[in-house]
Formats: sequence, C-alpha cells, structure tokens
Amino acid sequence: MPDILPRRRLLAASAAALPALLAMAGCRSSEVFAGPDPLAGRPPLSPDVITLQAVIAAEQAMIALYQAAVHGDPRPAGRAGSLEGLLAQHRQHLGQLVARLILPAGEPSASFSPSTSPSAAPTTGPTAGPGRVTIARLRAAERASATNLVRRLVTVPPDLAQLFASIAASDATHAVALGG
Amino acid sequence: MAVGSVTARAALQAALAAEDAAIFGYGVAGAHLSGARQSAAEQDWTGHNEARDTLTAMISGLGATPVAAQAFYQLPFAVGDAASAAALAAYLEDGVTRAYLGLVAVSDQRLRTFGALAMQSSAERAAFWRGRTQAFPGLQAS
Repeated sequence: MPDILPRRRLLAASAAALPALLAMAGCRSSEVFAGPDPLAGRPPLSPDVITLQAVIAAEQAMIALYQAAVHGDPRPAGRAGSLEGLLAQHRQHLGQLVARLILPAGEPSASFSPSTSPSAAPTTGPTAGPGRVTIARLRAAERASATNLVRRLVTVPPDLAQLFASIAASDATHAVALGG
Repeated sequence: MAVGSVTARAALQAALAAEDAAIFGYGVAGAHLSGARQSAAEQDWTGHNEARDTLTAMISGLGATPVAAQAFYQLPFAVGDAASAAALAAYLEDGVTRAYLGLVAVSDQRLRTFGALAMQSSAERAAFWRGRTQAFPGLQAS
C-alpha cells in the first residue's frame, strides 16, 4: 500500500476536517473568512459618502435654480450680471464637492458634473419647479443651503467639514448679496 | 488631557488672536472712513469685541489662559484713504474667517457649529468691504 494518499483524497479529507479544526480553535468559519464577500453584491456606501452625495445633489439643484432664473422669462430685473457671478461660484462649489467623492467601482456617478444643466436637476434641494424663479426664492434657497451644510458638517471628517463650512459661508454671503 | 481637547483649545486661541488683530485693525481703518462706512466699521469693531469676550470665556472655561492681545500689529499694507481702509477691513475679516475655519476641524460638534456660524458672519463682512462674494471663504482656493 502506498504511504502517500492520492491528491484528491487528501483534499477531500482536509475539507471534511476543517469544521472540526475550527471548532477546536473556538472559531466559526465566518470569523476565519472575515471581510467582504465578493458574492454578496456591492458593500453599502459609508455615511460620509451618502452625506456628500446629498450635498452634491443639493448643489446641483441650486445651480438649476440659478439657471432657471438667469435664462428664464422674465429675468429678475437688473440682476442678470450678478446672478451669473453667483452661479459661477456655485459651479465652483460643485466642482470641489464632486472632487471629494470617491465611489466604489460600479456605482452610478454620471450625473455628478459641475456643468449641470436644468434638465439634470436632482430630486433633492431647491428644485426650480413651476413658476418664475424670483430673487426672494434664490435668497431663501441660499439661506436654507447654508443652514443645511452647517447641520451636516458635524458628522463628516474634518477636511470635508471645512469645505462644507466654507461653502455655507459663501452661500450666506450670496443671500446678503441678494438683499437679505 | 485628550488630544482633541488640546486641538480645540489651540483653535480657540487662534480665533481669539484673529479677533484681537481685527479689533486693532478696525481702529486704524475707521480713522480713514466717514459716514455710513465709518458707522459700519464701528459696528464691526463692536462685533469683534463681543466675539473676543465670548472666546475669552470659552478658553477660560477649558481651564486655559486666553492669549493676550498684542500692543501693536503690523499692517499688511499702508492705509491712508477710504479705499485702503476698506481693503484692510476685508483683509482682517479674511483672517478671522480662516481662524474660525480651524474650529470647524475639531472633534467637538458644538465647536464645529460655532466656528461655521462665526465664519458666515465674518465672510459676510468681508464681502461687504470687498464689494463681492467669494466661492470659498477661509480656504486657499478662494
């Protein structure tokens, strides 16, 4: 009789013995093989990523609101130039926010573009909606955005919190520039 | 003491130092302004004094000694007329905004909120004196 078991029988014996070995060591197989299960689908997004996505969506909505005001009919009297300037700063906000967003491969991210068009308006934030976009509406949206960003910055990492705070401060100055 | 507490204390001291510099600077700027802009400078000077008192109390509350104001501050440029006075006021407010941005990075959530709200006030004053808004007050990108 050969003293070396055939390879197939040896592997089968090892697999059968594994649970017993784990039990002797006080482990369960789920502990031994801890880590992401490649067959379980995509892992959930972290709370910071979800927060950042919400802020990006709100910024996109703000841009859509400004675009509706700038290109709408009638435009807010005598404000077109200043609105373009504020809109440009909101596009800068969006660019910085998007630059911080790192999504796992396979996550949809095509809608996050600094050159958001009105048709790409997200479902959260100050959507343009029906009717004329007035200065008062823009002012209220700026105030609400500043408040929302300050509420959100308490839970995110420091560098992201500082970006939120800076954008909130910018939005607050926009509200004042719009007369309130 | 925990590292987080030290960081919060340092950030508060930095904010206090910025407020002290603003108080000194507004005294210089106000001398070159008149009318409504001088009144605005006086109002801002009063606001910075109140903020200094608040920060002093917060630092003392942490068991630390508030850093004393300097007797004199080197101005970033010569101030001799209303335009340079307004530019100085904007410069001072930028410094205050940057200092409060430091508070936003600490772990204490109340201090983060305090710093963020203080940033809004200083950014609004900076926009007033500069005559335009900025995309990123307090950050280098602005």
